[in-house]
Amino acid sequence: MIFSLIHKTSYKYNNAISYCHNLAIVKPRSFKGQELLDYQLEIEPKPTTFKENIDFFGNSVAHFSIEKQLKELTVIATSKVKRCYEEQNDVLQSKVCKETTLAEAHAKLKIITPTIIDAKQFLLDSMFIKNISSQVHEYAAVSFQKNRSVFEATNELMKRIFSEFKFDSGFSTIATPVDEVLEEKKGVCQDFAQVAIACLRSVGLPARYVSGYIETLPPPGKEKLVGTDASHAWFSVFIPNFGWVDFDPTNDQIPKNQHITTAYGRDYYDVPPLKGVVYGSGKSTMSVSVDIRPVKNDNQQQQQQQQ
Amino acid sequence: MTKLPVTAFFKNYFKDFKNYDEVLKSDMSINPKWEKLLTNFSDLGIDELNKRQDDLDWLLSENGVTYNVYNDPKGLNRPWNLNLIPFVINADEWKTVEKGLQQRAKLLDLVLKDIYGKQELVKNGIVPSEIIFAHRGFLRPCHQIQYKIAQHLLIYSADLARGPDGRMWVVNDRAEAPSGMGYALENRFSIQQVVPDFFKEINVKQPFGFFKDLNDLLVNSATQNKENPTIVILTPGPHNETYFEHAYLSSFLGYPLVKGNDLVVREDKVWIKTLKGLIQVDVIYRRVDDAYTDPLELKGDSYLGVTGLLNVVRQKNVVVMNPIGSGVLENPGLIPFMNSVCKYFLEEELILPQIASWWCGQEKELEFVLENIKKLVVKPIDNTHREHIYFCEFLTDDEIEALKKEILAKPFRYVAQEKISFSTAPNLTKKHLEPRKVMCRTFAVAKENSYSIMPGGLVRVAAEKEELKLSSQKGGTSKDFWVTNDLKSSLKKRKRYHWHHSVSNSFAGIENLPSNTAENLFWSGRYLARTLVTARYVRMVLNQMSDAEFNKRESDQESLHILYQSITHLTSIFPGFTGKNKENAFKNPLKEIATVLFDKTQIGSLAHALFSFKNSYYSLRNLWSRDMWRVYDMLQKEWECFDKDDHENIPKVTKLLDSIITKLIAFIGLIEESILVEQGLLLYFIGLQMEFATMTIDKTRALLSISHHEDIEYEILESLLNSHESLNIYRYSFRSYLDIQNVIQLILLDKSYARSLKYQLNRISKDIFKLPKRTETNELTNVQKHILKACEIIENTSASALAKVDENKIKRADLDSLLASISDAIHETSMSLTDMYFNHSKEQKQLINQNHTY
Repeated sequence: MIFSLIHKTSYKYNNAISYCHNLAIVKPRSFKGQELLDYQLEIEPKPTTFKENIDFFGNSVAHFSIEKQLKELTVIATSKVKRCYEEQNDVLQSKVCKETTLAEAHAKLKIITPTIIDAKQFLLDSMFIKNISSQVHEYAAVSFQKNRSVFEATNELMKRIFSEFKFDSGFSTIATPVDEVLEEKKGVCQDFAQVAIACLRSVGLPARYVSGYIETLPPPGKEKLVGTDASHAWFSVFIPNFGWVDFDPTNDQIPKNQHITTAYGRDYYDVPPLKGVVYGSGKSTMSVSVDIRPVKNDNQQQQQQQQ
Repeated sequence: MTKLPVTAFFKNYFKDFKNYDEVLKSDMSINPKWEKLLTNFSDLGIDELNKRQDDLDWLLSENGVTYNVYNDPKGLNRPWNLNLIPFVINADEWKTVEKGLQQRAKLLDLVLKDIYGKQELVKNGIVPSEIIFAHRGFLRPCHQIQYKIAQHLLIYSADLARGPDGRMWVVNDRAEAPSGMGYALENRFSIQQVVPDFFKEINVKQPFGFFKDLNDLLVNSATQNKENPTIVILTPGPHNETYFEHAYLSSFLGYPLVKGNDLVVREDKVWIKTLKGLIQVDVIYRRVDDAYTDPLELKGDSYLGVTGLLNVVRQKNVVVMNPIGSGVLENPGLIPFMNSVCKYFLEEELILPQIASWWCGQEKELEFVLENIKKLVVKPIDNTHREHIYFCEFLTDDEIEALKKEILAKPFRYVAQEKISFSTAPNLTKKHLEPRKVMCRTFAVAKENSYSIMPGGLVRVAAEKEELKLSSQKGGTSKDFWVTNDLKSSLKKRKRYHWHHSVSNSFAGIENLPSNTAENLFWSGRYLARTLVTARYVRMVLNQMSDAEFNKRESDQESLHILYQSITHLTSIFPGFTGKNKENAFKNPLKEIATVLFDKTQIGSLAHALFSFKNSYYSLRNLWSRDMWRVYDMLQKEWECFDKDDHENIPKVTKLLDSIITKLIAFIGLIEESILVEQGLLLYFIGLQMEFATMTIDKTRALLSISHHEDIEYEILESLLNSHESLNIYRYSFRSYLDIQNVIQLILLDKSYARSLKYQLNRISKDIFKLPKRTETNELTNVQKHILKACEIIENTSASALAKVDENKIKRADLDSLLASISDAIHETSMSLTDMYFNHSKEQKQLINQNHTY
């Protein structure tokens, strides 16, 4: 499955700002099952400086500055991504993945291997998920028991968040603490992902935040509108001897071909799609649109032309 | 004079508190390494010694040596304490310490490179991963940054103390932005000045070579290997606990002291904002903590750093010293593993012993710690400041339980250390010597693949006899630190602290004046003028009040009301004596006047102006001379000690104002002769004159815009001249009865009288034209245009035109509107000056987005 993806973010400033320094984490990652075929980052006005580098987590970060007065900033990431879930380690077929219990996972995490050392840092406090409360632990403990499979428990946790939490884009901000989201049981995808990560860490399992996109399908019989997709977030749990397993609590599913991954981090703070410091006064308004469409492959196109 | 043998001083030395001591051995004999110093010491006699200690305290306070304690009820800038008796280490022993420090610095440099590079220590299981990954000083954005310089750890500091085995032990590592070397240097200067007698026949190593090495390091580490690199010292500002030192090193090394907003990142380079424009910075010696250095990639709410700095470091276009992220080395979690690390990297044993430490992230160690907790000292791996250290022997059972719970929740965050009784050294108190625990802060700077060690350092002394924790914050004192050798030699010719210094001059000149310094000087001028004019004005009104009480004339009452109202207009503290509040305020004018003088929260009050001046003043402390410190200090003390109950007591307040005014004038006089125009005096003058001019206008408008009956007008004119300190000049110039036209002529229009508005405006204009221009064109800048407009208005008017009263015989509308338009022009001048010279940028804002809305 090949997707064409356009992620457009724009800021409008009431008063012109004199300059800004920004970073963008919007380049889809490549890994087994996801291949980045083409990628472009367009910035308007043209940036004064631009540099890409790879961060600690292996994500691609674009640093750019615009060093002149501006009233509007637009960042458009265009990419072509080949998604083939079938190439990934199949979660559902793996016995290790499905049957490793919490107690077994804890034991295996004590062995020192580069993979485990790397995974274990996702057990520690991070900027937005720290000092995990007893409420979080209690919420997690309902699903996680020593002798139960980690996969099953995580799957149940995802389902509980999906059914018990209300999607409410007006409730939270990026700074809303996990405890508050858990208390109110509402929020958006990144809140749900962070609640789940907090739960997993509270029972001693490494968990990471995944930032990316999801393809949405139009209601039956209607044509898909441009820009109705969204940037998205979900979480991933580490099952020793198997690896990372993704879960999407906002949609109650294990991400497959409709999910495209841009970045991993410990929480949202590590991987915001766009972040910057601007110099100026006054307010700004932001708008984001994401458009994901399947691309017909070349063979198909040629066949169509011949017909 | 009572002259006693050395031993007499130690008679009851161990009376209250016996400990392992640096000087006095258990058989009560004196350590021979100290003998010469103690002989020199006792030769002075106790009375003289006490006098010298007083001299020392006085000298330090005169030099403005201070440190700050955050949220300290005593306020900013506590005096620095230095005990008369130095701490002595023999050169033989020092040689080992020096080697040990070099080894440890070298080792930590390798650890730092590894943490942000290959991470072999973690991958090979030599250091458990949590010790690095769970440490808040481990900054992931710094991962894999490459540097051109061989060493990454450039400045290193270690706290040492003597353990029971007689060796010097490492207690703490400091690598983020080590402080103390400036205090150490000032301690040495002060002791040399106050008790040169102590040095008789003793060979004390001097630290100047070390500072030369520091300077060479700064110069040589410039990425472009320029001959004259631009080096700055980055400070968080006057509220930081060691701000004195930042300013001190700035003066001593000759590099500008800057705050985050003095610097800006453009085109992947760092620039300093100066009056002339932007100048590229090559090296930043920073005293801002790691996480605060870049709000873009690190702590987003930091206003102390420079946005985009980390990316400039990544591009190798600037060197930050120490590198951002080096705070991860301030990590007691490393201590239990340091021996293995040393073997791994250097195949050596550690030279300097460390305190026995247990990292709670390991099961056996955790068990041991929980069982023996009462005997241990517990600290988090990433916060070694005193308030986060648990001295378990002093904790209650409940506190112990709470601590255990905390440890068990995140065992990998804690380290427990053996409680050790470190050695004491003699401290001079009023009558005798007392043993006090001491800790030595030592310093290393990178030099030719190794490290140069300061001979000596900063010795800190516990505040109380049995105090375990050592901290300047808690009110302890300090000592000069002597490394001596046995070579017979008289006190060497005192080396002056000069070295060939091609760098400092390159940054002199008004054009290179950092914008922030320029702005502070400008505002110092404005606040000083405001303080002086307000004080004089209120004093004049208080005098009139006393006169009126004495004379009991009706006209006095009316003119007093006008004066009261003018106070409100002058200070803009509304409603004051105006509006609905009027009648009430007239009944009890002193209450309102007290507000105008003493209420710090009212913008426009005398207290507020003084407070605002204080802020600019401290930000500029590297510019002020000692006399200025003294005068300012007296002024400040007098103001703060004024009794609140006397706020409405006319004679006492008048006396206070007299004294404040005198000191302000002395201070203003000193500024003019202590600071060079290139250092920014020009900006100070512009600010000063601008505020004088504005206030002349405000006063004149408040008093003369309305025409009054002849008697009253006379009173008003006299008051105006009085508050302007111009009555004598008037009499000299006109030899006449007070006349409105003449007064206007003198106060507003006289070309050569320094207190007239015209003179002030012309002066501002002249100074503004001396400011550096950004372009070569002859086109006028906005600043120049606005001030020329003000000058033009005043040039094209006459006293008779201004004195004219309208048909209703009430208002002097022309005077009022003309002064209003001059006032506007001055305001515009100030705004465009700020825009052009100070704000190369606007306020910084975090672009917050909520991107995920699905």
